[in-house]
Amino acid sequence: MFETYLPVFLMLGVATLVATLMFTLTSLLGPKKPTPEKMIPYEAGSNTTGARHLRLSVKFYLTAILFVVFDIEAVFLYPWASLFRELGWFGFLEMLLFLTILGVTLVYAWKKGALEWEK
Amino acid sequence: MSSSTLLFCVCAFFALAGAVGTVSARRPLRAAMALLAHIVALAGLYLTLHAQLLAAIQLLVYAGAIVVLFVFVIMLIGPASETSGSGRAGMVRMTSLVLMGMVTVTIAFAIVDTDPAAPRLPAGYGDVEGVGGALYTQGLVPFEIISITLLVAIIGAVAVARGKTAVEKQIEAKEKARAEVEARLGEGAAPAPAE
Amino acid sequence: MSTGAILLASALKILFIVLVVVGAFAPLLVWVDRRQSAMIQDRVGPHRAGFTLPKDVVKGFDALRLPLLGGSLFAGLLIAVSFAGLFVMGFAGFEDLGGATAKDLYRFALAMLVFGLLLRAGYAVHSNIVEAGGKITLFGVLHPAADAMKMIWKEDFVPARADKLLHALAPVITLIPALVSFAVIPFADVLYLDYWDQVLPVAAEGAAEAVALVGDAVPMQVASLNVGILFIFAVAGTGVIGAAIGGYASDNKFSLMGGMRAASQMVSYEVALGLTIVPCFMMYDSLRLEDMALWQAQNAWGIFLPPLTLAFLLYFTAATAETKRVPFDLPEGESELVGGYLTEYSGLKFGIFFTGEYVEMVAFSALAAVLFFGGWDVPWLYANGFDLPGTWAFTVPLTDWVVSDKIAVTHWVVIALQVGSTLFKIIAFLFLQMMIRWSLPRFRYDQIMSLCWKGLLPIALVNILLTGILILLFD
Repeated sequence: MFETYLPVFLMLGVATLVATLMFTLTSLLGPKKPTPEKMIPYEAGSNTTGARHLRLSVKFYLTAILFVVFDIEAVFLYPWASLFRELGWFGFLEMLLFLTILGVTLVYAWKKGALEWEK
Repeated sequence: MSSSTLLFCVCAFFALAGAVGTVSARRPLRAAMALLAHIVALAGLYLTLHAQLLAAIQLLVYAGAIVVLFVFVIMLIGPASETSGSGRAGMVRMTSLVLMGMVTVTIAFAIVDTDPAAPRLPAGYGDVEGVGGALYTQGLVPFEIISITLLVAIIGAVAVARGKTAVEKQIEAKEKARAEVEARLGEGAAPAPAE
Repeated sequence: MSTGAILLASALKILFIVLVVVGAFAPLLVWVDRRQSAMIQDRVGPHRAGFTLPKDVVKGFDALRLPLLGGSLFAGLLIAVSFAGLFVMGFAGFEDLGGATAKDLYRFALAMLVFGLLLRAGYAVHSNIVEAGGKITLFGVLHPAADAMKMIWKEDFVPARADKLLHALAPVITLIPALVSFAVIPFADVLYLDYWDQVLPVAAEGAAEAVALVGDAVPMQVASLNVGILFIFAVAGTGVIGAAIGGYASDNKFSLMGGMRAASQMVSYEVALGLTIVPCFMMYDSLRLEDMALWQAQNAWGIFLPPLTLAFLLYFTAATAETKRVPFDLPEGESELVGGYLTEYSGLKFGIFFTGEYVEMVAFSALAAVLFFGGWDVPWLYANGFDLPGTWAFTVPLTDWVVSDKIAVTHWVVIALQVGSTLFKIIAFLFLQMMIRWSLPRFRYDQIMSLCWKGLLPIALVNILLTGILILLFD
């Protein structure tokens, strides 16, 4: 198992190295002349007003939950798809039921307006 | 030291470091990142157990979805989430110490009870074909129940997101009142925004 | 193979990937992007970075121009002369002309052709240099390099109240998954080390048994994993976190909004992306990318199988959205969000985000090539050489050289051609994405979300069931 995944770990190491190298280069070689004006958030030239945080739409949360649900669905679909010919009609009906229930989920979210982004 | 022991040690170290970081970080987003490190290390631990499909799913679902969900929630709540916990820190600490001791004792007993000879793994153990074959033929009922569980999750999320809290209702009422005042002030001079 | 050999081979493959993807593709894509935008907006594009040669050197170049042109013309004359000689030999029936056989004349003509073309190209290069007054810009390719240099020496500053650790972590988290996902992409068929300089002995068509190949086999991918494509999605999924925490840690409302939009869009299209390609696995019967490429090499490219054609269209849309390219570049929409989650990034930190985006583009293009366009498959190229359509053969006049529909090719050349094929397909997809960039206007955010959840996702689910029925009925 370790031998199979050894190249993956190597790749991870190289990727980390590339990213951190690029990152340290700029902080080592770049100039450092901070001024108070430079250190305020850039908001197209005007000063920041109001609270530090925006009130974000709860729609984003709904999207995240929908994402988790359908991601899990995809996880179950992948092994099934690679075994599809072996499982035959039995596997097809099995997945049909699974997908139907998830289709109901999507339709429910749709009808409840969870997918509407126009305000 | 064999290669899989090395893998275990590295992953265990990062898993523990991530776990400690998750608990001790004061800013919630940093805690989430420590959790991410913990989850990735956990996937490595699954590899030492020859469960490669589970390792991939661990990354896909937990690192790619659950942590993302946490990050979303932290971003939605904003700085409000950065306040320290309740005043009963001592009590919480005591309880967690006791629980930790209990878990340690349980695991110690389990280790003592385990037969040190490693069992022979069946062919296809932990890979896509093995796990998939078992899941789609023997694990039919749990598999179908999962879809219903997911449906329930969505129903719950929609209910949470659509329900308005008392504060939100207050804000809405205030905004409505202000809009009315503005409309009255702007009468004649400028047409009220049609909405 | 021993662990050391595996380690060495993996290191070489990783080096190849990093050099090609980060070293070549990313800067070239930046260049193409900027050249196109400059052309469309009718302004000077990335052309100004270059170096100027001294006057004397330019004079030297100028003096060399005429001899080069003369040389190429002379080579052309020699080709004409050798063909005239061949005609004389053919009609008069001579075996040789002054000791030169027909084979010699053919070889000489071919050598002169290559030589003459090189001289002609040299003439063109010299003329361009002289006409530009000795300034070498190489079509502006030097500009991305100059930009990278500039980025390294830029000040890297962070808003005072930002979370510095997370701010620094975000670009790193974006780049690492994009690079690591290349680990399972196959660039060619398996290389048999013991046969590298011979034609691979494979079983003739209709033979009862395959020829057993001995010795070490090196897969032309960094890691051949059982979980295959799941690995790519498992790793790529964590890239979302980079955009999200980059936006949050910047302490800037534009960044926060941009980060939230980016993350939301990416997770939505990640789901769509994951579901659109499920029909491929059903068709190819595997999650391993090398198996998928092999299946397509033996049967047919996925794009020619109807359910997969639809899957490809869905996949390409979702992949464009996932990389946040125009027309899906809402998170960076400069007219509304300044720079989105990139607003507070400068220097190479910004550069890492940028590189990550292009690396992701290359990764999705490579995935498209493997899933739908046969991966490393070259039409009519088999493990032991070309087998062109039809059965034909002819002899080159005056020689015993035979050209037929079957051309034996050495093993390492086959592998090299396959690597070239993969890279060519990747470049074709990148080109397509570049063309789209300036052809389509930006979507509205609600349109993006509905396209994903109400369009791609249901169609992908139906396509899965449709593919299932088709396979069960006709297979």
